This record gives sequence, C-alpha cells and structure tokens, in this order.
Amino acid sequence: MSWFRFAVLIIVATILQTSLIDIFAVTTAKVKPDLLLVLLVFFAVNFTNTEAVITSFTIGFAADIISPTMGPQIISFGLFGTLLADFHGIIDTRKWPYQLLAIFAVGFLTAALAYFLVFLKAEPMPLNAYTKLFWTPLYSAIIGPFLFLPVELWMRTQRRRTRRF
Amino acid sequence: MLGGFIILFVPKNVTNKFQFAFSRTFGWPLGIGRSITLAADMQSSADVVSRREYNQLQNHLANIIEQRNRTQKEVEKLSALRVNPAWERMKFVLANVITDSEGPQNELIINRGAEDGIANNQFVLGDNSIIGTISGVSANRAKVKLFTDPTSKIPVKIEQSDVMRIMQGTGENSAKIQLLQINQKVQKGNIVLADKQPGFLDIPMIIGKVAECKRDDKAPSLWDITVEPVCDVQKLDYVAVIVMNL
Repeated sequence: MSWFRFAVLIIVATILQTSLIDIFAVTTAKVKPDLLLVLLVFFAVNFTNTEAVITSFTIGFAADIISPTMGPQIISFGLFGTLLADFHGIIDTRKWPYQLLAIFAVGFLTAALAYFLVFLKAEPMPLNAYTKLFWTPLYSAIIGPFLFLPVELWMRTQRRRTRRF
Repeated sequence: MLGGFIILFVPKNVTNKFQFAFSRTFGWPLGIGRSITLAADMQSSADVVSRREYNQLQNHLANIIEQRNRTQKEVEKLSALRVNPAWERMKFVLANVITDSEGPQNELIINRGAEDGIANNQFVLGDNSIIGTISGVSANRAKVKLFTDPTSKIPVKIEQSDVMRIMQGTGENSAKIQLLQINQKVQKGNIVLADKQPGFLDIPMIIGKVAECKRDDKAPSLWDITVEPVCDVQKLDYVAVIVMNL
C-alpha cells in the first residue's frame, strides 16, 4: 500500500468532512455521511491485517481531530477496524449489500463505544444520539459502496482482497 | 489503543493543541470549503439572505433599545460622575469561523487568538447577538463555546425584568433559564439579554428569544423557559469577540 496516497486521502477526507460535507446534509437533524467511517471499512476489508490496524487507528485519530472530544474515536475506530479486518474473510465483502451492512454495523458500534467513552470522561452527552447511532451510519452505508470505486482507483487497489479461510 | 486512552484522559487544553494545529495547517482549504458550503446553502433557499439581514437588524435594534434604556436610567440618576458610553470601552475583534464542530458540544474555531487580545470567557457576537464565550485560546486560534452547549452557564435576564438568572445550554440548539419564579411576567418571543459581567460585558446584550414558556412540572412555582438563538450559527462566516478596554 502507498502510505503517501493514504495520507493524502485521509487529509482530504478530513477537510471535506469538516466543510463541504454539509452540502449533503439531509432532514432537519442535518444528517451527514461520515467519510472517515467509509474509509475505515474500505481499508479494513481491502488490505492486510497489519495495514488495517495502522489505518484504523490513523483514521480514528483524524476523526478525533475534528470532534469536540479527543480520544473516543481513535479507540473505537481502532478497535472495530481491527475486528472487521479479522472477520472480513468470513463474509464476501465484494458484494455491495455486505459492504452496506459492514459500514452500518461498524458505524453503529463505533458511535456507541465513542459515546460510552465520552460518558467515562464525564463530558456532556448528546440528547440526539439517534442521529449519530443510526442515521449517520445508515447514510454512510448508502453512499459508501459508491465511494469505494474512486478510493480504489486512487489507492490503485484492484480487488486484491484475500480470503484467510 | 494505549495512545487512545492517553489522549482520552489528557486535559482538554492539551488536546486542543492538536485541533488548533489542524485548523492552522489546513486553514485555507477549510475556509474555502466553508465558503462553498455557505454559498450553496444560500442558493438553495432564496429567503436566507433577507432573513439573516432581518435578524441582524432586529438584534441590533434590541441592543440599541437596551442601551438607550440604560442610558436613560443613568441620566435619571443625575450622577455627577462622567460615564463613558459602554460601547467606547469595548473593542470588537473580528474573526473568521474556520470550523464548527458538531456533536454534544457546540463549538466553533476562529482564526484569532491570544496575539489579538483574545482570552478565555470573553463574549462572542454573531449577527449582533451574543452566541457564546471563548473557551480555549492558542496564539492565533480560539475556541468559542456556544451558549447552547450543555456546559455553558451564562447569567441572563429577560427584557423588562431586572431579575438575573443562569441560563444553561441543552446541546440541542437551545438553552434553559433556571429558577425563575412564576410571578415574573414572561411570554414567548420575549428577548433574553446576557447580563453585565465586569471585565467582559459592560451592558446587557441580546443573546436569544424565549421559544417556549411553561410551568415547570417538577416545581410548579417556577417557569420552565426554553431560549433559542436569534442567529443561525451554522451560517456565520465571521464573528466579533468583545475585548474590554479596561
């Protein structure tokens, strides 16, 4: 994997997530897709375990940078990115329904763990948790498979997924 | 994982440095992105510009009326002391909004910092109304904690009332005024003013409007007052920080 291309991709995604992604907000709750979540799943299912672990924690750090509280995302993204990398050989992630499901499930779990960690840190808890727990992962899951193609082209990944079982 | 837990429990003023560094390094693309978002937002809703200008003027009017009332009271007191107008003791530092963070806390990052005289707890104006206070400062960046943030507590009073109460954010683009007796006259639409704070704010200024006013279910002798901002913070491209000339 080209780490330079990965770094550029993460920086661009982080900047887009804090600015231009607002254009795609829907409903009065301003639900927005989470580009970093989509990238987390992409790298977890397309690269080796070691690369997936490194990319998961890095993407988590990027998510923390643009969050009010630093720390929860690096832990939750790192943990569930690593777990997804371990388990993705079991399911065929080349099919878009599985990709959709993987993004939604990882989005829900990372948001739930992040909230728990925010609670541990005694930071204020959100009253509209449903948006982050359900709607953001769902929106990300819907657009995620479409984003995989340009990311594959940029990373020059031509379906080199390997089954481990 | 260990690094994550260290970052999680490190004091916020330390972790703020990462966020300030990010906004400083990528300030230009972040600013461009925000401008494009604001432009797209304005195009999608034709009445936004006029509504915003309307809100700005309404807020300015509310501040002027309050200032006039105060001045009238001062004149009525026939004080022998010469008093400088409050506005002359205030300095407004204009700052561009770089990012607004979403989530449980409501914060903005602006492109002015300690080098421009910005310090913690200073009040911040958006569209001529108070939107929050400074909560973190680096050399040339600062964080604004909006008054809708759950950790924000600001002394306020409702127009035509001299009773000061604490207003606390709810995290859902609103705030609650606590412990106000039911015998106080309050109704929906009343203007809420941030109260004077020595060294930070010399005259009360508009901070919001009463969005809902009902009897508190738990304590029937008190009001349950919900206050909403009088400007759309997400559409702000610049704010003004009030720096007092002491």
